[in-house]
Amino acid sequence: MQIALPITASRNTAVIGGLGILLLVAVVCSLTIGAVSIPAKDVAVILLKKLGLFSSVEVNSTHEVVLNAIRFPRIIMTLLIGATLGVSGAALQGLFRNPLVEPGLIGVSGGAAAAVVVVVVFGSVMALPSSGWVYNALVPLFAFAGGIITTFLVLKLSYQAGKTNIAVLVLIGVAMQALTGAVIGLAIFYADENQLRTYTFWTLGDLGGATWEKLFITAPLMVASVVVQLLQSRSLNAMALGEAEAFHVGVDIERTKRTIVFFSALGVGVGVSMAGVIGFIGLVVPHLVRVLFEPDHRLVLPASVLGGALLLILADVIARTVVSPAELPIGVVTALIGAPFFIALLLNAKRKQEI
Amino acid sequence: MYQALSISLRVRDRLILNNVDITIRPGKFTAVVGPNGAGKSSLLKVLAHEQRADDGEVSINGKEISTYTSGELSLVRAVLPQSTTVQFAFSVMQIVMLGRHAHRTLRSENERILKEVMALTGVEAFRDRNYMTLSGGEKQRVQLARVLAQVWDETVYPRYILLDEPTSSLDIAQQQQIFGLARQVCERNIGVMAIVHDLNQAVQFADHLYFLKDGKIVASGGAREVFTKPNIEETFCCRVNVYHDPCNNCPYIIPERETFVYTPKLKIN
Repeated sequence: MQIALPITASRNTAVIGGLGILLLVAVVCSLTIGAVSIPAKDVAVILLKKLGLFSSVEVNSTHEVVLNAIRFPRIIMTLLIGATLGVSGAALQGLFRNPLVEPGLIGVSGGAAAAVVVVVVFGSVMALPSSGWVYNALVPLFAFAGGIITTFLVLKLSYQAGKTNIAVLVLIGVAMQALTGAVIGLAIFYADENQLRTYTFWTLGDLGGATWEKLFITAPLMVASVVVQLLQSRSLNAMALGEAEAFHVGVDIERTKRTIVFFSALGVGVGVSMAGVIGFIGLVVPHLVRVLFEPDHRLVLPASVLGGALLLILADVIARTVVSPAELPIGVVTALIGAPFFIALLLNAKRKQEI
Repeated sequence: MYQALSISLRVRDRLILNNVDITIRPGKFTAVVGPNGAGKSSLLKVLAHEQRADDGEVSINGKEISTYTSGELSLVRAVLPQSTTVQFAFSVMQIVMLGRHAHRTLRSENERILKEVMALTGVEAFRDRNYMTLSGGEKQRVQLARVLAQVWDETVYPRYILLDEPTSSLDIAQQQQIFGLARQVCERNIGVMAIVHDLNQAVQFADHLYFLKDGKIVASGGAREVFTKPNIEETFCCRVNVYHDPCNNCPYIIPERETFVYTPKLKIN
């Protein structure tokens, strides 16, 4: 008799590899598509030139500028935000032992957005700089603080007799979204004409604001968020048994909880500070991975990193092309995909009498 | 030895455990019996280090329990709850493997242990099935396999398993099976402590017996010696008669019918 673990392990490698290849293809497509269409060949040459190869090959200089200044930072940011949302959703679902949890749903994104809007609108009153690297560093910091405060509140308020009451959690999440929405609305009310347009940005997301300067500060934070959460996969498997049981098999529960809450709030908060609130990626991706493959977090977490990045890249391509040369807010696209999916999930849970 | 000395536990103003002493010996089956609300589950939580006692000390193999990290602790003691629900569609084998979480052993070693405990508990036949779709008895056997996988290593120090009314939702054959398996693993220098609901089962399987009432140990000792009419009647406030079962060569009780009348403060002379 042979234990099937090696088979699972090699299948998981195949899943991760497959997702990686899909992501690569999506990235290349995404680089070629846009207001200026750039052939894949040019994309490849410009990429290689950036790496110091083929420096003598001539390419269309407009293409080079568009790629270097606009598309590269945008795609990198999209990848990072998608990956962070995917892995944070997967980790939070594992932590709460519930497939309905998502960074946006429990108020992390809203809290982060509200904090950032307050800084942006009232920053001058508080004598904070409104540009430059201090500003670039300060905004993600506030987003993180806003995110972690709301997560902490939601967690605390929905805790009942040693575990999280999911019905309460979802309702508190709704209340938090309303509350953070009100804070954003209020701040916008006091905003000047220039800042007014940003309301859409904060509530529906926009991937258009990426620059190398911003990435320089935020990318390491998002990478840290992804890596640290990936390291929690074994503990999350044990958490599936329940908190007490996870402790019995040797998991330091409080540390696992703190780590995941902290680093998901960090990653999502920083993402929000760059691109506003983008919903549903963190909900849909981990769930799909579980349904299509298996619930082992050693697969679910890395596959959600790749899947989150993949889905957000594709959503961004749609957002940029359907009303070209204008752009749909990215949140509109993800919500159009995600909301029906969420309803289907709820119906399924209802059928199984889980809620 | 797994020892609790003068354990007291308060929840708000109520004294849940009052100066409790208990010893779990390696290779022996220790059972705790008592009426509902006596503090049995709280005692198990304190022993498992899930809850801190307000007074007293718990030690495992001579080392104070709070000096263990959660990982180290899991190498010497495992816990089987009454029932365990799992949220995601994990397979039986994946659940059993969770018992090896804190062990830094080779994969081949883990697989050997998995194979042994799954064979012993009879879960091998459905090892690839989704845990959520199993029956109550099957689930509990899988959890027992998980608990055994956690303490299966041949170590110089003794290991312990704590069972919290592990058979409460099982039929009679499954109950005997679970306790029989627990009894069997004692041979591997594993100490077993079980909260047992059925008194006849307690005396049938246990080496040592503790009677817990209102947070206090009212009687303890060798299972057959302390399984007496006065001890049982005092602990449970219920008239019983003790007989001898020649088949198991073991005492058993039958409660008297009239005591079904609910009298919480019944004094028995």
